[in-house]
Amino acid sequence: METLMVDRVHSSLRLFMHRNAIFLCERLCAQFPSETNVQLLATCYLHNNQPYAAYHVLKGKKLPESRYLFATSCFRMNLLREAEETLCPVNEPNMEVPSGATGHYLLGVIYRCTGRISAAAEQFTQALTLDPLLWAAYEELCILGIAEDTDECFSESTALRLQQEHTSTPTLVKSNFANENRVLSSRVSASLGDISPKQIKQLHANNIAEVSGYPHVRPTALHVQNSSTSNVAQFDTPSPTAAQTSSIMPPPLFRNVHVYQNTISGDAPTKQKANGVNQPLRRKYMDEARLKKVSGRLFNCDSTSIPRRSVRLKDTATNSNSNTSQFGGNGTGHSSGKLRVNSSTPSKLCSTAIRSVQVRKGKPRATENFDEGSRYEVIDEMWTDNISGTSSSVSTADGRSFEQDKAERILLQDSKLALGIRELLGLFRTLGEGFRLSCLFKCQEALEVYRKLPESQFNTGWVLCQVGKAYFELVDYLEADRYFELAHRLSPCTLDGMDIYSTVLYHLNEEMRLSYLAQELISIDRLSPQAWCAVGNCFALRKDHETALKNFQRSVQLDSRFAYAHTLCGHEYSALEDYENSIKFYRCALQVDERHYNAWYGLGVVYLRQEKFEFAEHHFRRAFQINPRSSVLMCYLGMALHSLKRNEEALEMMEKAIAADKKNPLPKYQKALILLGLQKYQEALDELERLKEIARHESSMYALMGKIYKQLNILDKAVFCFGIALDLKPPAADLAIIKW
Amino acid sequence: MESDAEEEAAATPAAAGAPGAGRLKGSPELTVDADMREMAKTAAWSVSSCKAGNGVAALRDDNLNTYWQSDGAQPHLVNIQFQKKVQLQLVVLYVDFKLDESYTPSKISIRAGDGFHNLKEIKTVELAKPVGWVHISLSGADPRETFIHTFMLQIAVLSNHLNGRDTHVRQIKIYGPRPNPVPAQPFHFTSREFITYSTIR
Repeated sequence: METLMVDRVHSSLRLFMHRNAIFLCERLCAQFPSETNVQLLATCYLHNNQPYAAYHVLKGKKLPESRYLFATSCFRMNLLREAEETLCPVNEPNMEVPSGATGHYLLGVIYRCTGRISAAAEQFTQALTLDPLLWAAYEELCILGIAEDTDECFSESTALRLQQEHTSTPTLVKSNFANENRVLSSRVSASLGDISPKQIKQLHANNIAEVSGYPHVRPTALHVQNSSTSNVAQFDTPSPTAAQTSSIMPPPLFRNVHVYQNTISGDAPTKQKANGVNQPLRRKYMDEARLKKVSGRLFNCDSTSIPRRSVRLKDTATNSNSNTSQFGGNGTGHSSGKLRVNSSTPSKLCSTAIRSVQVRKGKPRATENFDEGSRYEVIDEMWTDNISGTSSSVSTADGRSFEQDKAERILLQDSKLALGIRELLGLFRTLGEGFRLSCLFKCQEALEVYRKLPESQFNTGWVLCQVGKAYFELVDYLEADRYFELAHRLSPCTLDGMDIYSTVLYHLNEEMRLSYLAQELISIDRLSPQAWCAVGNCFALRKDHETALKNFQRSVQLDSRFAYAHTLCGHEYSALEDYENSIKFYRCALQVDERHYNAWYGLGVVYLRQEKFEFAEHHFRRAFQINPRSSVLMCYLGMALHSLKRNEEALEMMEKAIAADKKNPLPKYQKALILLGLQKYQEALDELERLKEIARHESSMYALMGKIYKQLNILDKAVFCFGIALDLKPPAADLAIIKW
Repeated sequence: MESDAEEEAAATPAAAGAPGAGRLKGSPELTVDADMREMAKTAAWSVSSCKAGNGVAALRDDNLNTYWQSDGAQPHLVNIQFQKKVQLQLVVLYVDFKLDESYTPSKISIRAGDGFHNLKEIKTVELAKPVGWVHISLSGADPRETFIHTFMLQIAVLSNHLNGRDTHVRQIKIYGPRPNPVPAQPFHFTSREFITYSTIR
């Protein structure tokens, strides 16, 4: 009965019937109280967005799986200290971080939220070492500004290692495997060749070996297989630890196609060779395969395989990281869901919510696939438009279709596995490099890297948003607009980069389009901070700073870890001349993300207005250090230096700014101002003459020229210039100055 | 914009203000240039006298149904003190002869200075049965005098319609120029290219 219940719980979760799952699970736990069942219950609660309930049931449990789930619930409830304590207890420094890579990732996120950047970086690197395909960890490292070159992270050696991991399963469950194969439904998707029993066994062997080989990985494996193995092994009371290594079940879910494919012919959705976006996914499959083997062993017949699979799936599901209900082994869809989540890393389509889910994403549960043995279709709508469902090794994270192949083609699987791993790593390399460069604000190089992507990958929301962001940092707003628009059109539900898009439209003064975008975003998701940022930008464009401020504050309320919302609040306070509050908000933004150069810039401007020039220069310089390519920042730094009377340095900075971006008229204008201050009138005039060619219709330019002529006492020219300046309709303040 | 087109320019700050030849009527809408903004949100407002329930807060509550009613001898004064010297350009009052009749002000004098001790009259206007917003520009004829720079502004109601003793004023707003969004610049930027590159958001 227990297995049946577990199976039903899994399938309910998989099909998003959370309340049903919770009810069943509560009955299960009442009748068969075991830690695994409690874990399952906790998973149900987490899926139903009740982290407090999960917290309550898991309190005090010591198994790694439980600890991981407990830490996740604490994190969701914002109890960072407890989460940290669970993952890394102070009293027992040698205890392993549960669930391997994802555990380290979660710990890293906690460290980052509490401000311990170096510790966070360490954790992310650890996570990445354990699981090179954990994109989220790499992304965090990039955001912290300390990611290493992708060539190192996703290199050939990593490929080899991954390959080994996935194919190293020794001949563990040969027999099982055979059984499994039989058991597995024979729907074999095209993806990788058939998985021959041998292959599966191999996989298992690999898994086992792998598990043994990487002790620290074990928790992960355990995690992955956790329930599955336990399920399999005990069949009734899955215990997280035991089964894992022993159960050589071929992971039904083959994220990593090849491995799984081989093993799971039929049940596990064999994923394409695409090395799967997530190695964890792969691993999961492997685990599943392993589980399958075990179950196969146990049940030697087809009829039983199914419930077992579901059980297994459930188990693995408990480890689920993805927010899609990973449970429910009975659906390929399920696994795809999982896959999706996991594979979402590269495609930034995942919103931050998904990202948080990804924390656990290490363990894709491909169990679903496993069950049916049906093909695993990765339904990756979220991710990208190009989900290549073909079995050909689609290295894109997006499309992973798991196909189950017959067991015969194990060898073929192997090679496909290798190929798939390499392809996936290749994709990661490109995307990772692009992301890393754009985080370091080396935008031109980042753009070049992104262009290397294949068409299908490029035309996806995440990539296009990144490209748009790169253009935005380069102050090329027209191009940025183009790309963001394309991104929005292709995937209207990606909200991640839309706050930057709204800023681009703000800079381009496009009121209509900005208000349209804002309304659209609100209608898509009223609770997303980016939508409210867009609305706020709309009002700010019309100079209604108070309403804009209200909207930005709403955005802050929705997500206090969203640095840009804080910065925008700061900008609005600054426009309202409430400098105290604006400083406060800029500092909040910096607390969230120290490399948010907009906040440094904002502080610099406030101090400039308050005439605290030393502070202003310091802050502009910090911003400049983070983003050394921005000509606007250089210009402001020069202005600060000029106010400090360090005119030579100021002029130098202006020269740099002029060189950095030919289209920016401001440095030239500022240079002329500085020269005027130094009384080098003729040079200033020359500069302005040159500027005239670029920006014909700028009244301030003519006004400045007129002023210089007046100083030089060439009154007729002065009058002429002032006349032009007036024609260009400056605001009243200038009028007063100009007319004398 | 300003409905005091008939009025001649007030005297320069140096001379005593001479009453304008025309009389203001008031317009139903509040029309203010986009390059001006309301300046008195952080100022200290006070009045010479008021009736209970119709105090100075009614002048700033954006509600045209509430009004300030004075309760003493003429002239009735509204004092606005700023925290620092500001540039002001326009004063706008909302008065309604149809509702207030003998409480409607008819002669208003605007004084400016550093404090109560050195206020000097800068403008005087006469109103003729006004209904709506009355815009009073503070600029002189000289372009150099578009703004007045002051710490304090005093609006004095010297007399009312139909020789009423007390006065009702429903709303007062003070306008001045917007600050330059780009700091430390002598002039504003007008063209798109300059504005686009002028700030980071």
